[in-house]
Amino acid sequence: MSASLSNPPVRGLALRRSVTSAVGWIACGIGLALVIFPLLDIVGVVTLNGLAAINWNLFTKDTGGPALGMANAIEGTFIITIFAMAIAVPIGVGAGIYLSEYGKNRLGSTIRFLSDVLTGTPAVVLGYFSYIVFIISFGWGFSLAAAAITIAILIVPYLARISELALTQVPNTMREAAFALGGTDTTVVFKVVLPAASSGVITGALLALAISVGETAPLIYTAGWSDYAWNGQFTHAPIAYLTYVIWTFINQPDAHSHSLAYAAAFLVMMVVLTINIGVRLMVRRG
Amino acid sequence: MNIAKLLRTGVAALAITAAAGAIPHAAQASVPLTETGSSLLYPLFNLWVPAYTASHSGATITTTSTGSGAGIAQSIKGLVQIGASDAYLSDAVVKGHPTMLSIPLAISSQAINYNLPGIASLNLSGPILAGIYEGKITKWNDPAIAAANPGVTLPDHVIVPIHRIDGSGDTFIFSQYLAFSDKDWASTLHYGTSISWPAVSGGIGANGNPGMVTALQNNPYGVAYIGISFAKQVAAAGLGQAALLDKHGEYVLPTEETISTAASSVASTTPADERISIVFTPGVNAYPIVNYEYAIVNSQQPNKATAAAIRKFLTWAVNEGNATSFVSQVHFLSLPAAVKALTVAQIKTIK
Amino acid sequence: MKLRPFRLFVLILSLFIPAALVAVILFLVIYSGQAIVFNGLHFITNVNWNLGDLYDDPVVVRGIQVPAGAAYGVLAFIVGTLATSALAILIAVPLSIGTAIFLCEAVPEIERATWRYFPWLPPLRQALAMLVELVAVVPSVVFGLWGVAVLIPFLGHYVSPTGNGYGLLAASIVLALMITPIIASTLYDALSQVPKENRESAFALGSTHFEVVTKAMLPMVRTTLIGGIVLALGRALGETMAVLMVSGGGINILPTSLFSPISTIASFIVSQLDSAETDPTNMAVRALSEIALVLFLITLAVNAGAKLLSSGALNVRKPQ
Repeated sequence: MSASLSNPPVRGLALRRSVTSAVGWIACGIGLALVIFPLLDIVGVVTLNGLAAINWNLFTKDTGGPALGMANAIEGTFIITIFAMAIAVPIGVGAGIYLSEYGKNRLGSTIRFLSDVLTGTPAVVLGYFSYIVFIISFGWGFSLAAAAITIAILIVPYLARISELALTQVPNTMREAAFALGGTDTTVVFKVVLPAASSGVITGALLALAISVGETAPLIYTAGWSDYAWNGQFTHAPIAYLTYVIWTFINQPDAHSHSLAYAAAFLVMMVVLTINIGVRLMVRRG
Repeated sequence: MNIAKLLRTGVAALAITAAAGAIPHAAQASVPLTETGSSLLYPLFNLWVPAYTASHSGATITTTSTGSGAGIAQSIKGLVQIGASDAYLSDAVVKGHPTMLSIPLAISSQAINYNLPGIASLNLSGPILAGIYEGKITKWNDPAIAAANPGVTLPDHVIVPIHRIDGSGDTFIFSQYLAFSDKDWASTLHYGTSISWPAVSGGIGANGNPGMVTALQNNPYGVAYIGISFAKQVAAAGLGQAALLDKHGEYVLPTEETISTAASSVASTTPADERISIVFTPGVNAYPIVNYEYAIVNSQQPNKATAAAIRKFLTWAVNEGNATSFVSQVHFLSLPAAVKALTVAQIKTIK
Repeated sequence: MKLRPFRLFVLILSLFIPAALVAVILFLVIYSGQAIVFNGLHFITNVNWNLGDLYDDPVVVRGIQVPAGAAYGVLAFIVGTLATSALAILIAVPLSIGTAIFLCEAVPEIERATWRYFPWLPPLRQALAMLVELVAVVPSVVFGLWGVAVLIPFLGHYVSPTGNGYGLLAASIVLALMITPIIASTLYDALSQVPKENRESAFALGSTHFEVVTKAMLPMVRTTLIGGIVLALGRALGETMAVLMVSGGGINILPTSLFSPISTIASFIVSQLDSAETDPTNMAVRALSEIALVLFLITLAVNAGAKLLSSGALNVRKPQ
């Protein structure tokens, strides 16, 4: 490997060491290949099948009609995600701030621990919890409100832990300097620490966004499904979402449904990719 | 700075979306209906609804595929107006919820498929299948299978029984066939949308009908039960279709003729609440795994407008919707006239 | 100390997380109460799962209404959950370490070398990192489809002695593929943040490049590695659809080999919820809540274990 050639080996043990190095690099390369090829294959399958099914009707017509569009699902995913993020980002980033700035104590580590436990909760359990509590007990019916809250519960722990990790990496000297200049808690956090860690916090938000766009199980029992566009109500109105199209249409006997499912999977990927690149560009420029 | 800018953009986006959402979309003249449940009935609903809404302007009906259990539960809870189910309501459920109706909308059936290289036709019976799925019959050249297939050279190979893992109407009618034709199965495993599958080494569970087709394709010497709407995929995969022993003692294949013979054999005995099985019915040349596809509806709706909308749609479904042009696309059959009369009578009770 | 409103505010925000968790656990405990009474300890020691005859009249057992013949034993699913997750981690960790090291250390050199001749090539490292990010949003049902279409025929033809590819190994490999990006990307981030001084001093001592990576850099990122593994494990324990599609869905049977059909708790809940809803006594749904509770306890134990491990790792790091 070119890597090990850059350091001329010392004599003696040298042969064994360079052989170990070479074998090690090859093993790492094989590891990469073993990971990359299946992943490339999966992404490739979605892209090829998805691209073949893309047409203008997807974005203009609703599901349920013969035209086979999914404008309602695209809109629904967008709306559910916006509201879920609106609930989750303040809580998640706020919790991240607490954990990194003031949470180096027993209470902080308890919250951290419980947050990790919440991460391991299967999404379907959260979905069923919301079904019984919001849909049945509160009588909301299948609704945007229940869907957005469920997704928010799902993504808050990720947001909190990743923001915390990002904020912790900001050197303490910056905080000390800001406090020395007479900064208050708020100014130090919002003017110094948060901007310095913005890229990490945004990574967390993007991961959360990806999860909320890609989840199916918690929505089946909370959002329900609608073949029509959202009617503006927060409760008592089911709402469509993209992953339902994938989950359901892939189980249909006809080829047309399959291509619609792949188109939906491809769109989910593209939406997240676009947001990802867009936000990163914005951050770099700002 | 960046965060603040982002936040501001986010808030603006939110405001725009909220404003857009507040404007009601298309004027909805009639009550919006939601159908959820059976994944078997779902493709037919997807053919019906566009045709219905095209001829009835203002009607909005959403179709959802969740599963028969969800269809029943959500219809009882009033979350949806029409629950779709491959199975009728049990006595216990009817006792607890006397206003819930089981309304047949069409007739469906199921094939038993196998993957045996070089064997073009195969006879199977309820007791043989029960033996296979219980692990009592483990090889294809078992005497019981050989006796049912004179002249066929069966391979000396272990059988791979494939079943559904997800709760499914297909499992319901398959296990009914086994329970009705095999006493042992009836007393231990019963029938239902999920079965406590006995531990058969080498047995496989698959997810959904597409999962069943691929699992059977991937496993030579396998046997599986697959909904009739997947007949095309099964044939394309080169899998065999077994003839099944009917109550009359003959082996019959699932054809339009044998399925409708089975359906008409119960047409005169179907009770007013239409909760009856068409599995393993008496009658010459009657295919043994056939079922009604039900709409589970509460006869006491919260308001008159909703009740009227449900009545109107269901009436359309059993008349215009039962035309061959719709049902044959998913390999279903229309309801016999006598059953249709009962169904129409039930629909009229929705208030 | 004076009152600090901002600190109080963010504290209240962060308390939402334990509040949500407690709400979910309380709900599950209350909802599964009758099932816990009915099942007793048999729940976790028995392998027999039977919803009973949902179409017959319910019977009353110990004062509780249940379907006739109902029995709820989930040992097989506990074993299935632990086995798939452990195996998935076992596969994913070495792959992730290899991937992260190669991406972080070897790819830049390869890039430098090839760009001399092909300057128009896209930046390889960014392209690979992008691929990893894309994989995070591929819906798990697509992973499942890939498993059924590609992995299972492969295992069936070339690996499995019986010709059947479904089961423990297939589920573990699919899970491993889903979690490798999580571990690899956290590790990659951490490796690229190792201070230059540490690397250079290791080189100065005459280490080969590979030794620098394995002996000087890897020990420094041990905590991050464990953190990444814990996040990944959480994902593996809770994953449903992909597992459901390739696991062979074994019930009433304990795995005996890598090709035994298995079910995990999460995938089993998804597969049974629909049928459970038709149970007029509602006991089936309560029993499913009880399994969810068991999964919570497993997650709790895993996290506690990881915490112990990572505090140990911290102690190792401190002396330098």
